[in-house]
Amino acid sequence: MNTSPTHEPQSPLIHLIDDDQAVRESLSLLIGTVGLRVQGWADPQAFIDGFDRASVGAIVLDVRMPGISGLTVLDRLVAQGVDQPVIMLTGHGTVEMCRRAFKAGAAEFLEKPVDDEQLLEALQQAVRQHVRSRERSQADNAARERVAQLSEREREVLAFIVQGLTNKEIARMLALSPRTVETHRANLFAKLDCDSLAQLIRRYAVLVAGDD
Amino acid sequence: MKQWLRAQGGWWLAWLALTGVGAVWLARAELAQMQQDFGSDVRIAHRILSQQVVQYDAVLATVALLEPGTGADHPEQRLPSVYPSILRVQRRAGDEPWPDEKHASALAAAEARSRSQRRAELAAPDLARGRYQLVMGATPFSYALEIDLAGSVPWRDWPMDPRRSPVRLSLQRDGQQLVLQPGQSGDGSGWRFDLTKALASPSQPFELVAVRHVGWSELPWRSMAGWAVAVGLLLAGLWAAQRQRIARRRAEELLRLGQVARLNALGELSAGLAHELNQPLTAVLANAQAARRLLDDDPPDLATARDAMGQAVEQARRAAGVVGRLRRVIERPEAEGEVRPLVLQELVRSAMHLLAPEFAKRSVSAQFDATAQAPVRVQADAVALEQIVHNLLMNALQALELVPAPDRRLAVSVGRNGQEGVLTVTDNGRGISPEALPRLFEPFFSTREGGLGLGLSLSETLASGMGGSLSAANVPPHGARFTLALPLVARPAERAA
Repeated sequence: MNTSPTHEPQSPLIHLIDDDQAVRESLSLLIGTVGLRVQGWADPQAFIDGFDRASVGAIVLDVRMPGISGLTVLDRLVAQGVDQPVIMLTGHGTVEMCRRAFKAGAAEFLEKPVDDEQLLEALQQAVRQHVRSRERSQADNAARERVAQLSEREREVLAFIVQGLTNKEIARMLALSPRTVETHRANLFAKLDCDSLAQLIRRYAVLVAGDD
Repeated sequence: MKQWLRAQGGWWLAWLALTGVGAVWLARAELAQMQQDFGSDVRIAHRILSQQVVQYDAVLATVALLEPGTGADHPEQRLPSVYPSILRVQRRAGDEPWPDEKHASALAAAEARSRSQRRAELAAPDLARGRYQLVMGATPFSYALEIDLAGSVPWRDWPMDPRRSPVRLSLQRDGQQLVLQPGQSGDGSGWRFDLTKALASPSQPFELVAVRHVGWSELPWRSMAGWAVAVGLLLAGLWAAQRQRIARRRAEELLRLGQVARLNALGELSAGLAHELNQPLTAVLANAQAARRLLDDDPPDLATARDAMGQAVEQARRAAGVVGRLRRVIERPEAEGEVRPLVLQELVRSAMHLLAPEFAKRSVSAQFDATAQAPVRVQADAVALEQIVHNLLMNALQALELVPAPDRRLAVSVGRNGQEGVLTVTDNGRGISPEALPRLFEPFFSTREGGLGLGLSLSETLASGMGGSLSAANVPPHGARFTLALPLVARPAERAA
């Protein structure tokens, strides 16, 4: 029931970790009703070792499991730089446990037995958040690659452009002719695949400022 | 031994130290008293001896002055009959020699000194025999008195018993001595007082030498032993009091620990219970909700929905199983096995003793007369009964917290009612509200902020486990009364009566 033919391969995948088979199966069924794929894991260690880190989606983690606590699993995932949002589930939540979970980076903390609206809402929000963060990081990577293609002089010019200087001012600063600056500017727009100054600044201002 | 030393060594050391200090103080006081008595006795002896010998000076001077020798009857020769200690009176005229030839030269020398110093002079002292002569050079006759020194002692006025007194007294001069009373000689150990004083007569300056030995046996051993016993009794009392205090503190500690342990166990139990029940409940809920969603689909996925409902039913049964298992674990069948005859009064007394600090803290004094009734013997489990009495008393104390301290009343009574022994605990707090009264013995029902609501519920369960009952009622004008009834121990004598 994990996969249904109506979903394309890249549809979000939910990892569900709970040692109780009945809980795993029922929650998988419930999550499946909103079109999300679910992969259930009975053993937390097997999950850490084997889950697909590239997949887009979220992780639902039970706190109380034999051998290794859900909070420990959460700590390890965060330490390994896993970027999927984690939703914690517990049968007997305390304020302290809740505080620890959020501090460790949990996206949500829900109590069992969990209401469908609450769980599905939390999951969908988590998935949306993950998809956005993946897209953002992909865009960032593309931009970073383009900036890497710029020459030394072009990178200097780019830095002045995002600071809002005109060609004349940049020419004076770099002791070049306005004509030469004009050429660098044209090249740089082409290499960074930008049509307007606004687009250039939106995409690259942060990147250039970060490089300094 | 080591254990014993650590537990009691301090007390024994304290006893030794206190006894030692006290004994030394007593001995010193006694010795000081002895020395004072010795000094005053010796001074009295010195004074009366001095008076005695001064008298001889006076007699001699009078004889010399009156010149009785001019008559033929020698009246001075009658002196020995008046003064028994004057043995002989000699007279020497002008150039005659002294009649006593043996001491003639000594008498002559003394006479010469007497003439030059114009007072009586000592001659031929023989202290070993207690004799000496007193010479007065005069014109026309010089006189000499031979005096019996031993006979001069005025025993009638003597401050000591000469035979039994421990003081050795002697008169000494030029290495000779006359022992007046032998005293008791010491064996070298102990203490020694001495006093030497010359008699207050220039002509007869015998030295009165007094020595007193005080042996160890003369110390006030009886008072010292009495002191040791008194200190021992005092310390034993303190020790007992302290032990009692420690015992009570330990009992309180145990009680508190017990409560903490119970709470911990309860916390553990609730966490385990939450997990065990929440797992199947999660599955039931998720299955049911998934089924509803599947049925809402168009077209509804009936097969999967049916499966989900089947799962939900199965998981609901699993939850019921958890509850059943829990009951079997918690209800201990052996709890009813330890029933034995117990005296209700004693239990109340020990519970009140344990709670004494709680009573004191809230300035509540309980009215309970253990002797008002003959001992009420009930058939009960000691631990359970203790717990019930403890809970009822604590409950009443907590109810009284809302009452001003001077008005707080807590009464405990023990009695009989048919075949049951009855214990009541009555307080004059606010009583129990009509809504709370029917739910009072429900688990987890509490009217107190932060109360667990298990005390009364547990007490009621324990009471019925022992074949008894626990009930609550309000008493006018305000307050609550809890009544615990337990089966009496059946005794042939009671049945006959």
